[in-house]
Formats: sequence, C-alpha cells, structure tokens
Amino acid sequence: MSNLTLEHYLILSAVLLGIGLLGVFTRRNVIVVLFSIEILFNAANLNFIAFWRFGDQPEALMGPIFALFAIAVAAAEVAVGLALVIAVYRHFKTVDLEKLDTLKEE
Amino acid sequence: MIEQVAFYILSAVAVLGALLAVSRRNLVHGVFALLLFFAALSGLFVMLLADYVAAVQVLVYIGAVGILLLFTIMLTEHVTGDDLRRLGVRGWFWGLLLAVAVPAVLILPAVLNEKSAKAAPIVVAQGNPALANNATQANTVKALGKVLMEKYVVPLEVLALLLTAALIGAVAVAHAPEKDASGKDTPA
Repeated sequence: MSNLTLEHYLILSAVLLGIGLLGVFTRRNVIVVLFSIEILFNAANLNFIAFWRFGDQPEALMGPIFALFAIAVAAAEVAVGLALVIAVYRHFKTVDLEKLDTLKEE
Repeated sequence: MIEQVAFYILSAVAVLGALLAVSRRNLVHGVFALLLFFAALSGLFVMLLADYVAAVQVLVYIGAVGILLLFTIMLTEHVTGDDLRRLGVRGWFWGLLLAVAVPAVLILPAVLNEKSAKAAPIVVAQGNPALANNATQANTVKALGKVLMEKYVVPLEVLALLLTAALIGAVAVAHAPEKDASGKDTPA
C-alpha cells in the first residue's frame, strides 16, 4: 500500500542538508552556526535510518547503531562547542564570527 | 495512504522548522523552531520503524541539546542575533549557491534514475519479506541491546570514554577563571 520509496527520504534529507549549509554559510552568530550543524547531523541520521529500512539486511541493525553513535558524538560536540562559545564570549564579549578575527593577518 | 500523508506533513514541519531555525534573528525563537525540527525528525524515525532511535532523538535532542542551547543563549549576549543585512551581497550569493548546488547534486541521481527505478523497482520499499516480518515485530530495542552488548561492545565503551572526556573538557573550557584580590585572572 505504501508508495513511499527510499527516494522520498533521500530528497528530504538533501533538502535539510541544504538548509543546514545555508545556515552555516550565511549566518554570523556562532550559536546559529551550531544550530545549523545540528540540522546537518540530523539530515545524515535520516539517511542512515532510511538506507537501513530500505536496504536488504534490516536484521543487521546497522542503521540504528550508526545513528545512535552519531547522536552520541553530536551530543558531545554540542557540549564542547557551547562551552567554547561561552569561553569565547567571556574573552571577546561577542559571539559574532565576523569580529572574531584575531588570527587574521592585518 | 495515511503513511504518505504523515510523511508529507512531517517533512513539511521538518523543513519549515529548519528554515525558521536558520533564519530567525531572535535566537530563542530559533531554538524553538529547531525543537520542532527535531520532533518532526523523530516522527520520521518512527515511520521508518526505528523506534529506539526516535526515543533517543526526543531525549537527547529535544531534552538535552535544546536546553543546553537555551542556557548558552542566556549566558551570552543578547537574545537577538546577528543582523542579516550586514552580510554583503557576495556572502549571500555564495551561501545560497552552495546551499542549492550541494542538494541539487545529491538529488539529481535520484531524479534521473526514475525510469530504471521503475523497471527494477526498489522492491524493498514495498514488500521485502524480511521487513514485513520486522514490521510486525514489537520493537527493535531488544535486538539493539543485544547487538550493542555483543558485537559493538568495544565501540560502545570507546563512546562512553568520549562522552566522559567531553564532559570534563566542557567543564574545563567553560570554567570561569577565578579573580584574585587585584582583579587579575589566575589559572583555574
């Protein structure tokens, strides 16, 4: 009955990836860039799960395992990333990426 | 039929949430849009029969990551973020170009392949017998636990180590340097 194919999920995932990339490239606030990275992670997770569901070895459970590991690593990344944001804010009094140019050659 | 309606509703919510999250100037509104996105994705995981991943998605992303993001926003600057207009035309051009080009390149094969996909339909989508059995299974939790404790026990332990290291690292990095009487920073 269901006419949903793998392509449906892959296209959705690609669109979400594009939105995440848009955020990473056009926003100048570190926190929004972190949001966008989360969107990218989730788009990738959707692909893992979709390939698992429509693949020929669903009993192997590779998709959920990979997604779970990705979620755990993403959580660690967010914790460290936000700690860095707080440290950077304490030092520079801003989270604007355009103003964090200490390493840039004048 | 119902499955398709659910898929399109959830996809619309996910795309809308993601778009709002990356475009709102008010960061708190952005976080709530992001939570909406996470919730829609969790629904999609349920539709793909990955029940445990969906539950973890709710617990980790909506529960932990969302709150963490909110706290960071409160601890830094203003609630309103950057001014979008300040980014030059060139920045917008390249950002949009990449954001459209990368998914286009990814989607293209799926679209071009439509004919061959019909000739040799993605059978698994409709009726893979193995999946049909799986679909009637109560859930994947038991099988996942077994696999994690047997085949993937070493990666699991490494992951635990990584999470511990991240916890300690996050505390160490975010720890405020203590001020002594003269107001100078001393290493924590």
